[in-house]
Amino acid sequence: MNSKNKAAAVKLLILRIFVYAVIIFLCALCLFFFIMLFVNSSRTNSQLQRGFTLIPGGHFFYNLNNAVHDSSINIPRGMLNSLIVAGLSSALTTYFSALTAYGIYVYNFKLKKLAYTFIIAVMMIPSQVSAAGFVKIALELDLDNKLWVLIIPSIAAPAVFFYMHQYLKATMPLEIVEAARIDGSGEFATFNRIVLPIMKPAIAVQMIFSFVASWNNYFLPAILLTKPGKKTVPVMIAQLRSADYSKFDMGKVYMFILLAILPVIVVYFILSKSIIKGVTSGSVKG
Amino acid sequence: MKSTTTKEAKAKSISYAKWGYIFILPFFLVYAVFTFYPQILTIYYSFFKYFRDGLTWIGPEFIGFDNYKALLTPTAEGTIDILKYFGNTVIMWVMGAVPQFVIALALAVFFTSTRLNIKGQSIMKTVIYMPNLIMASAFSMLFFTLFSTVGPINSLFVSMGIIDKAFDFFFCTISMRTLVALLNFLMWFGNTTILLMAGIQSIDESLFESARLDGASGLRVFFNITMPLLKPIFIYTFITSMIGGLQMFDVPNILSNRTGQPNRTSETMVMYLNNYLGVSKNFGMAGAISVVLFILTAVLSVIVFKTIDRDKD
Amino acid sequence: MKMKKLMSGLLVATMILSMVFVGCGKEEKVEQGGKTFHIMAWNEEFKGFFEKYYAEKHDDGEYYVGDAKVVWTIVPNEGSAYQDALDAALLKNKDASAEDKVDMFLAEADYIAKYTQSDLTMDVKSIGVTDFANAYQYTIDAASDTNGVVKGVSFQCCPAGVVYRRSIALDVLGTDDPDEVQEKLNSWDKFNAVAAEAKAKGYYMIGSDSEAYRVFSNNTTSPWVDKDGNLQIDASIQAWMDQAELYAQNEYTLVGDIWGEAKSQQMLDTGKTMCFFGPAWYYNFCMPNAMDTCSGDWGLIEGPQAYFWGGTWMLAATYTDNEAEVAGVMNAFLNNEEICENLVSKDLQFVNNKKVNEKFASDPNYGNAFLGGQNDTALFVELAKNIKFENHTQYDQACNEGIQQYFREYLMGTVTKEQALENFRKYIKEKFPNVNVDK
Repeated sequence: MNSKNKAAAVKLLILRIFVYAVIIFLCALCLFFFIMLFVNSSRTNSQLQRGFTLIPGGHFFYNLNNAVHDSSINIPRGMLNSLIVAGLSSALTTYFSALTAYGIYVYNFKLKKLAYTFIIAVMMIPSQVSAAGFVKIALELDLDNKLWVLIIPSIAAPAVFFYMHQYLKATMPLEIVEAARIDGSGEFATFNRIVLPIMKPAIAVQMIFSFVASWNNYFLPAILLTKPGKKTVPVMIAQLRSADYSKFDMGKVYMFILLAILPVIVVYFILSKSIIKGVTSGSVKG
Repeated sequence: MKSTTTKEAKAKSISYAKWGYIFILPFFLVYAVFTFYPQILTIYYSFFKYFRDGLTWIGPEFIGFDNYKALLTPTAEGTIDILKYFGNTVIMWVMGAVPQFVIALALAVFFTSTRLNIKGQSIMKTVIYMPNLIMASAFSMLFFTLFSTVGPINSLFVSMGIIDKAFDFFFCTISMRTLVALLNFLMWFGNTTILLMAGIQSIDESLFESARLDGASGLRVFFNITMPLLKPIFIYTFITSMIGGLQMFDVPNILSNRTGQPNRTSETMVMYLNNYLGVSKNFGMAGAISVVLFILTAVLSVIVFKTIDRDKD
Repeated sequence: MKMKKLMSGLLVATMILSMVFVGCGKEEKVEQGGKTFHIMAWNEEFKGFFEKYYAEKHDDGEYYVGDAKVVWTIVPNEGSAYQDALDAALLKNKDASAEDKVDMFLAEADYIAKYTQSDLTMDVKSIGVTDFANAYQYTIDAASDTNGVVKGVSFQCCPAGVVYRRSIALDVLGTDDPDEVQEKLNSWDKFNAVAAEAKAKGYYMIGSDSEAYRVFSNNTTSPWVDKDGNLQIDASIQAWMDQAELYAQNEYTLVGDIWGEAKSQQMLDTGKTMCFFGPAWYYNFCMPNAMDTCSGDWGLIEGPQAYFWGGTWMLAATYTDNEAEVAGVMNAFLNNEEICENLVSKDLQFVNNKKVNEKFASDPNYGNAFLGGQNDTALFVELAKNIKFENHTQYDQACNEGIQQYFREYLMGTVTKEQALENFRKYIKEKFPNVNVDK
């Protein structure tokens, strides 16, 4: 018995060492690119031209100052625009996807199957395609330079719906809805007060992902947002990169990229706390 | 098990049908206006000659299936280009997705295992997710610097004597595809890990506990409890990764300078589509490519659904 | 529960924030009034000159031309976004509100034809730009439609030459004097012979396989696409391909993009490359590595063949409601000598005004420190006389980029020459459905 336990303990130890090694290797790999970005943002353009190094160039604050005080690119304004678009988009997309998924999962109605199949099918249409048509229509209707045009469509996100539906399938027993009804809860109240908390990990996960996707979105904003006060961060970075040569400054470009990442990390830290064990299971198990 | 719950639900919720419609209404309304309408136009225009020459629109003029014929006619060399690009896309996606799923699954299991009890999880999870935060275009810029002929990887290899002259990674099919796959892997494995973890954590902890009391090994727990219960979420991550992979664009586009080099072996379907949507705004051909891509994606998805979901009952 | 509060808090915060800003946006609108002078561009190069030398800054911090407030729409070139936004704006310019109407926009040589050939640009003579006496002919030709109607004005002129490294020239040719170096490099045969000598001494002759591309592409005898819509590869482009092949095979050059990292490292003090090809803006703005590490070690010559590279044209958009202001800007950057002199002396431009350029050319005190004090304007004045703008089409940008990219694959040995050209033809066919690419 004792030797068996010992053997198991050794096995566990070896497994642990192996697991830590794998994780640390992967973390190092990921961190490497982040460090590279950080180092590059501390080097001047001419230092960058000299080639690669991992030794910081000592011009971090020089680049930061240049980036924040750029005469024609108002990066704080861009970050605010990005925050508005990404914040509202991710909130709307997760809420309405969860609502739709719940509607299809819990209720029985004639078009249920059709609705589900439809959403799954349209998920496979390349987004570039509807984007091209969308741009054409938006420009014809003078909808450029309006942030809401980038926000409202996020209500209908087939992929996020799909995730919410799969999540409900895996985690939510229908008895909870029944129990709520017996307690006299209205349908909307049941969803908002009982179901949403159960789905919190799913919502947090999708909120992070859709926030990041929206934050980094370039294709549509580049064409639709042309006025200086309306541009989002990726559009500004592209503008900086296509700057004329007298002003071309890669150090500043890397600083912009770094600045663009920071708010996303903050949002990630806030939301990732709710993807931890226990938050969810309490409600499911009652 | 599944069928009984559905039956129960049917019996009990029949009078609530209108709520189903109410709950899904906003989604469908917004979808119809902002996405479905443009998509229908796309399909419609695939039967038209419709593009721009300079600043003048040519068409729309109905031409039946001519756009599709042009797409599916073999070239002088006997290849059908669109299938070649579809092949490129699938190959590059698979090269990145296989390690992505193997590692993400392993990490998700490690992180959630109470037996292993990994410390410092929140930092680790943040770090592996971080590459996803860097814009694809910026990430590709970093890759360029690293792998260029005057970059650190080349000088490392030369100084170690592995190669005697700088090697241009972007002009060799194998290395080019590997770099695309590696970049996609790095950008997405953390994302997948988090999704799968959220899935594993939604599994009732008592199931793991009782399995452990029964003396089941880690692998048995994984295959008999984790995988079956994780299946809905796993299918989700796999299908969306596949759909995303088939729409791969940014990374190969930037790494190959928009040409799909070498010899168009890194040209993806959406890069091909994008060539048509560039200056000439060729809605006819772009529509036809989209329809072909949609059909191919749908076929692949059905195959995947059927394969993974086969042993469901 | 805590999490829920946090999340709803986050939501509410974003909502409030966005309300505040939507509100702000509206207020801005109300304040606007009066005339707006709307200019579209892909970067801020011209905007800088415009604000420095032409527009007036008012107390509200905005720039004005007369009583019209200047509004810029700057859309980056990346992924054809600039042309997309510009096209969309021009196509609806007729019905746009006074505020949104595009009055003037900028375009480059590679795609200017697309706009000059359209009704959406105006005859500048009709709005009062009539004095072209001091402008270089090629800048006028480039902005003219097929009937010779002038649609725009360039503020710069871009004759180009060969920038060589004096220390390497001394080693290879035994001299670094521009006249003597020119004498030894004044034909392609001589240039190629010197390339072999440079190679023997461990140097590269040029910085990229496409280094001299513009010399060939801007001296073609036929356009990329003929009037029947057939793609054709001009003899001059063929000559470039032969040259690129010769140079790549004999390692007279590094094989790589002209904007690539490997090439720009060759401009450092440690570089081994003797010649770079470009106009004034090239060495003034694209050779920071050389400026920082080996300024003064450079010289400028005409090289084997005269050519030009680039230019930025201002075009008048049809339906503009500020014709006088548009004409004012164009006339100022073309004929206002004070502005043109500032552009030369302070901004190192070679302007589109013969009189001003000639004044600097004959000034014995004027010289470029980067070029060891050589008076580059004097040489450019001579070179500018030989520039012709011929055989250009709206397809040039894609053709020029495409042929360089796809041919490089052949130089790298990954495809045959025939495959490289076939891939290039496919690429053009995808971009331009009405171009016939079959041989």
